[in-house]
Amino acid sequence: MNHMAGSLEQYNTVVWHWPIAVYLFLAGLSAGAIISAIIIKWMKGNDVSPWDGIIKAGAILAPITIGAGLFLLIFDLTRPLHFWKLLIHYNFGSVMTLGVLALFAYFPVVILFFLGVFKKELIENGPFKFLAPFADMALTYAKAIESVTLILAVGVGAYTGFLLSAMNSYPLLNTPILPALFLASGVSAGISANLVVGLLFFKNSTGESNVSYMHGLDVKVIFAELFFLFILFVGMMYQGGSSAHVASAALSSGGLSTLLWVGVIGLGLMLPIGLNFALPHGVKHSHGFVIFNALIVLIGVLALRYYILYAGQTFVG
Amino acid sequence: MAKKYGMIHDNNLCIGCQACNVACRSENKIPESVYRLQVWVKPEEYPNGTLGYEYHRQSCVHCENTPCVSVCPTKASHVNEDGIVLVDVDLCVGCLYCVAACPYQARYVHPITKAPDKCTFCHESRLSRGEEPACVTVCPTDALVFGDLNDPKSKINKVLSEKVTYRQKEKLGTSPKMFIVPNHKGGIRS
Repeated sequence: MNHMAGSLEQYNTVVWHWPIAVYLFLAGLSAGAIISAIIIKWMKGNDVSPWDGIIKAGAILAPITIGAGLFLLIFDLTRPLHFWKLLIHYNFGSVMTLGVLALFAYFPVVILFFLGVFKKELIENGPFKFLAPFADMALTYAKAIESVTLILAVGVGAYTGFLLSAMNSYPLLNTPILPALFLASGVSAGISANLVVGLLFFKNSTGESNVSYMHGLDVKVIFAELFFLFILFVGMMYQGGSSAHVASAALSSGGLSTLLWVGVIGLGLMLPIGLNFALPHGVKHSHGFVIFNALIVLIGVLALRYYILYAGQTFVG
Repeated sequence: MAKKYGMIHDNNLCIGCQACNVACRSENKIPESVYRLQVWVKPEEYPNGTLGYEYHRQSCVHCENTPCVSVCPTKASHVNEDGIVLVDVDLCVGCLYCVAACPYQARYVHPITKAPDKCTFCHESRLSRGEEPACVTVCPTDALVFGDLNDPKSKINKVLSEKVTYRQKEKLGTSPKMFIVPNHKGGIRS
């Protein structure tokens, strides 16, 4: 093809750039953080203060990361001052509208959870006395609100996958496994972030048994992620045609495939699994190792979002 | 009865002269560096060693089953009563979901409004005056045929009944209203 028709610049297939990858990461992390905090809360029957450090970490991380992600998302719009139109105009056939509606409900409930957990610090001993009714509501109706939160969190974690898989213009994105892969990696990121924040900032209140439970759960979720990635590429190979071409290009060409093999699979998935099998019990359960492990998992999940977004838009068959 | 506008691009009549491209730019005041319409010219070598050209009209194909409209969260992307796919700039937030979801790469971001823009079949100007789109009018070889698919007597339906046509990426289920008369030699890569 020659250029007699004019500039071909507008035909670049990469439309969404890194802020979207970071948003996808933060939305998954937020959902995973609140899901794992609620799991610990329910499992341990930790219904009143003092809260476990993992619960505190989830309570802080869930609203902050989703808030930061949405901030990034709004400023990535080409018409950011018009963003409010997203809030009043709906298209129920669009995954983006469904995401907006899920976030409409999700943001308030994670803030409620945060107010309930930090009632003492913020309201009883802090300057936010006017928020007391909300904190009381969060504590009185904890089970009901947390059940709804759990469902919404699964929605937020999975919708980012549907957002991409809804586009049949991109074979690597237009796959049924993507929402499951994103939900699993989001849960993994949430667990890891809770462990880092819990062990660094709430060291005294973070129960040892919860740390090892979370850590063990993370390893299981990582196995699920590996399997989902395997299903993704093998499934595309079996489809043949352009899907198979796209899959093999995405696995083998350029810096993006290096990112997949080294960042996503090597650092983010295989290294945590390998270390968990290879290291002696004492080292594995040291806080230093748990934090290190959580950090490489987080880097791996961010790399996965970046890889899927860019490889998905780059290799189009 | 509502109209259903469609177009035919005849690969045998097209000579890749870009008159349509230029006419579109001038009629629709398209800013520099972006295009609603280009004709891509691709040299071909046939199995017996002879050479030829394939012409591809790169523009919106006005799908009936529109990925761009389905994904748009605010309904800024819409199909009008005549089957033309349009963007309501007022409703657009610039998420570019439509640009990404279009399997035909028909959309670009307008440098001034920052909203996606695309071929409109000149509906706001020439069509409303009863004229054909600029690209069709200017084509020196009559490679483009435009008309109402709902009217059995229209010129487009006459050509569709007499010539072999196909539509791009038909397997995606988009049902484009842009029909292509394939080159009379070589294979078809839809």
